[in-house]
Amino acid sequence: MRWTVSRRFAISILFVLIEICAWGRTRPHYGGTIHVEIAGDPWERPSGVARRLVYDGLTQFDSFGSLQSSLAVSWEQDNSYHRWQFRLRPGVRFHDGTALTSATVIASLNASCSAHCPWDAVKAVGSLVIFTNDSPMPTLPSLLASDQFLIALTSTAGASSTVGVGTGPFQVNGFTNGVLALIAYENSWSGRPFADAIEVRVHRAVRDQWLDLSLGRADVVEVPAEQLRQAQQQRLSLHTSPPVSLLALLLRDDGALANVKVRAAIAASVDRSSIYNVIFQKQGEATASLLPARMSGYAFLFPTDRDLNKAHELRGGLGTTSLTMSVEGDGAVQLAAQRISLNLREAGFNVQTVPAGTQRADVVLRTLSIAGDDPAAALERLLWDAGVPAPVTEQLPDALYKQEKAILDSRRIIPLLDLPMAYANGARLRDLRLRADATPDLAYASLEDTR
Amino acid sequence: MSLRQKLLLLFSLTVAAAVAAVASTVLVRIRQVFERHNQDETALFVSQFQREFQHRSASVAAAIDRIASQEHMRSVAFELVQSGDSAPFLNEAQTLAQDARLDFLEVVGPDGNIVSSAQWPARFGYPEPAARDSSSTPFLKSEDLSDGSTALGLFAVRTIRGAEPAVKVIGGVRVDQHFLADLPVAPGMQIGLYSDPVIPGTLDAAFSQSATAAAFDPKRMLGIDGMLPGAANYSHIIEQARKTGRETAGILYLTSGHQDSVAATAIPLKNSAGTVLAVLTVAISRNGLLAEQQQIRQIAYGVAGAGILLAIIFSLWIAARVSRPVEELARAAEEVAGGSWDARVPERGNDEVGVLARSFNHMTEQLENQRERLIQSERVAAWRELARRLAHELKNPLFPLQLTVENLTRARQLPPAEFDEVFNESTQTLSMEIGNLKKIIGRFSDFSKMPKPELERIDAKDALARVRSLYAAESNEGPRIEFKMQLDDRPMPLMADPELLHRALSNLVLNAKDVMPDGGTITISAFNRESNVEIRVSDTGQGLTPEECDRLFTPYYTTKQHGTGLGLAIVQSVIADHAGTIAVESPQGQGATFVITLPRAGA
Repeated sequence: MRWTVSRRFAISILFVLIEICAWGRTRPHYGGTIHVEIAGDPWERPSGVARRLVYDGLTQFDSFGSLQSSLAVSWEQDNSYHRWQFRLRPGVRFHDGTALTSATVIASLNASCSAHCPWDAVKAVGSLVIFTNDSPMPTLPSLLASDQFLIALTSTAGASSTVGVGTGPFQVNGFTNGVLALIAYENSWSGRPFADAIEVRVHRAVRDQWLDLSLGRADVVEVPAEQLRQAQQQRLSLHTSPPVSLLALLLRDDGALANVKVRAAIAASVDRSSIYNVIFQKQGEATASLLPARMSGYAFLFPTDRDLNKAHELRGGLGTTSLTMSVEGDGAVQLAAQRISLNLREAGFNVQTVPAGTQRADVVLRTLSIAGDDPAAALERLLWDAGVPAPVTEQLPDALYKQEKAILDSRRIIPLLDLPMAYANGARLRDLRLRADATPDLAYASLEDTR
Repeated sequence: MSLRQKLLLLFSLTVAAAVAAVASTVLVRIRQVFERHNQDETALFVSQFQREFQHRSASVAAAIDRIASQEHMRSVAFELVQSGDSAPFLNEAQTLAQDARLDFLEVVGPDGNIVSSAQWPARFGYPEPAARDSSSTPFLKSEDLSDGSTALGLFAVRTIRGAEPAVKVIGGVRVDQHFLADLPVAPGMQIGLYSDPVIPGTLDAAFSQSATAAAFDPKRMLGIDGMLPGAANYSHIIEQARKTGRETAGILYLTSGHQDSVAATAIPLKNSAGTVLAVLTVAISRNGLLAEQQQIRQIAYGVAGAGILLAIIFSLWIAARVSRPVEELARAAEEVAGGSWDARVPERGNDEVGVLARSFNHMTEQLENQRERLIQSERVAAWRELARRLAHELKNPLFPLQLTVENLTRARQLPPAEFDEVFNESTQTLSMEIGNLKKIIGRFSDFSKMPKPELERIDAKDALARVRSLYAAESNEGPRIEFKMQLDDRPMPLMADPELLHRALSNLVLNAKDVMPDGGTITISAFNRESNVEIRVSDTGQGLTPEECDRLFTPYYTTKQHGTGLGLAIVQSVIADHAGTIAVESPQGQGATFVITLPRAGA
């Protein structure tokens, strides 16, 4: 009997020890430096890794796509959405100690949208930031959650004179040898992040990122949509978002493309299936609608098939039309641009690729961010992002469908694919989540072994 | 042209022609030598190019063979055939191309469509016609690129073993300036490669509206160092090579001044279907030839110039030896023809020219002597004629004188009254005949002392009118003589002595009347003839024989029964004193016309 009691006691102690170890393993640790590698620019819009680590918006989406407070604790509309007032979170300071005030918020917002803001006027009243507009702005809170309206400390002239000064959980510590160094902001209103620092190594090829990941030199790497299958085959620890990135062609409505039929011919001549099946390796969805199916439910109503004959018909026997195209993105997006050029040549368009940003191209291939769970807000944000701002006042699906159809019929935006975003993390990184806009939320990630 | 000039010209032409013949022969020969040399060099280069081409072809074929034989590619082909999904292999070609150091590589599926393309990744799904080529030998192909350009390449196609239906690999290397740089180029040789901008059947051709006849584009002409300078000069032979598909040669001038020229050959490079995809040009500088030709020309010009100079000197010497004596002879002959029979030429040497000179001098001497003798004999004849005429003229009045004196002597025997009658008759006869004698002697005296003319400006019309008025009135008596006047409307000014001129004209009119004893027509005309005034006095008498015409103006010559024969001599003397001439025309049966030509007085 004594032997039985001792055995039971030992087994209990053993179980307690196991539980203590397990608990020790699951609880996040403070400290350490997270190594992130990306192929692009950490500040690029809309999915620059560093943006939401350094800046906050007045509002934000959680990982489920629901709108949450951020720098604004509350907001209310007035006058049938013609007026909104946002109450700022008290006690928030920028990384350099400057207090967050309604004036600094307004300065940042004005610098973000300059002459093309979704509001007519914005003013500060104490800790309130008040927006007014002649047209109703039912989706303004969602709009303010987008990447474009993140709050940064700006000079009185309105330009961002102190790049990287925000209110986010990390602050910029420098940039040397291709590595952006961020350190934890101790006084972050959202709480001190677990990691002490983040090092973002930029312009690193995906192949090299994966190699570093396998060697333990990187904790978070990118997984482009077209390489998801490969990443799965290599059994990387993946975090994949739903389709939150719309690959689309943005067309001008002047010059060679002044005629809507010409734009419609371009839309008819693009072969989405080959881009989806081959270039993006069947990741995401081929689409001809602005909102993804999961959000709108009516995406299938917009046909995605290519119709070269119709494209020729729409061109009406015109001679060769010369167009310029710029591409924002690399890798598969560049390849997609080449494919689209080929498609357009078959329809009688001679496309010349120009470097992005050097001149205003007739056609721009880029990705647009789709975030949040509110279709109308997402659509309005997307239109703002595309440079074709238009208030989206409809909420009901059929009305929203009609409004989206009207927008698509203008052929200023030609949706191609809804793409997911994905990251892979190394073994020592825990609790990596993706935000609603598919950027990695490293504020809540921690490292198994701090170093 | 003088003899000296002819000689100079002849010698110069002879020298120049000889030099030109020699120089042109040498030039032609040199050009032939250079051309043969150029052809040999070109042929050598072409054979070297073909060897290099074959070497490259073999390399490409070997590289494609290796790729097609890889186990990895076999599994790719197997998966492709099994699954029918080409998406996973999109990037295969790029990796393979990098590893194999190929500029072009494509994996083509069983349906003939591109699965993966290294040079244009976005072209997946499009057909690759070249993959249908079942030949194992490498071939030339023009490849479309994503930037819209086309590149010429040397390709090979291989089937990946083990996959049915066949999956193929087609790849190659560029045929560009780097390819050219590996070719052995002789000094002075310039090579270029022109590739057609639009090839029928390629995507560009389908897209371009003028695919069939692409114009020559100098930017597509590459040399070892990039774009070939002066490429536009090659357009003609390249177009010919493209059109005919055969080697074309020609001379090209690379600069506007034609100083820099090359002997160029254009060699078409064709694909397996015989379409010309590119043209290889080989240009060999002609500077050597041109320099040699220039040197020869300079020498030729120098020799010709020296020859002409010698010709000038020689001709001058010849002139001194030959043409001057000839010129002197010619001048002397002219003097002799002009009446100066005492012209002489220097007699130099014993050659033909010297003999000629001596003969000439002898001839003129003889002529002068003969003229002297002729003059003497004419003088004697004239004296005889004068004596005869004197004897004849004087005899006439002397005989009646003699008879009258004899009668008078006999009449002394008659009674005084009869003697007085006879005396009176005799004295009348004596006076009349003495008067005749005086008249005769007066004429001779007048002829011997013809006065010098006192010239003044008159009009011929006035002189002729005076003569007409004088003798037209007398024509009313005796035989019927009609006067006709034909005068120029324009003035006919003369510098003449009016009295002497009147006398000469009067003599002519009187002579005309004398030859028409039964009447007739005297026509007096005067017209301006260039710088002269021509006066004609015509009659309708019996005319003159040619012999009479010749001697008419000889003093003391007359066709009349009675007359001194001095009238026309006086007329001739007067006309000569007025710097004029007189001649007679007497066509048979048409009377005689005296033609006086006098210089017209200036304004």
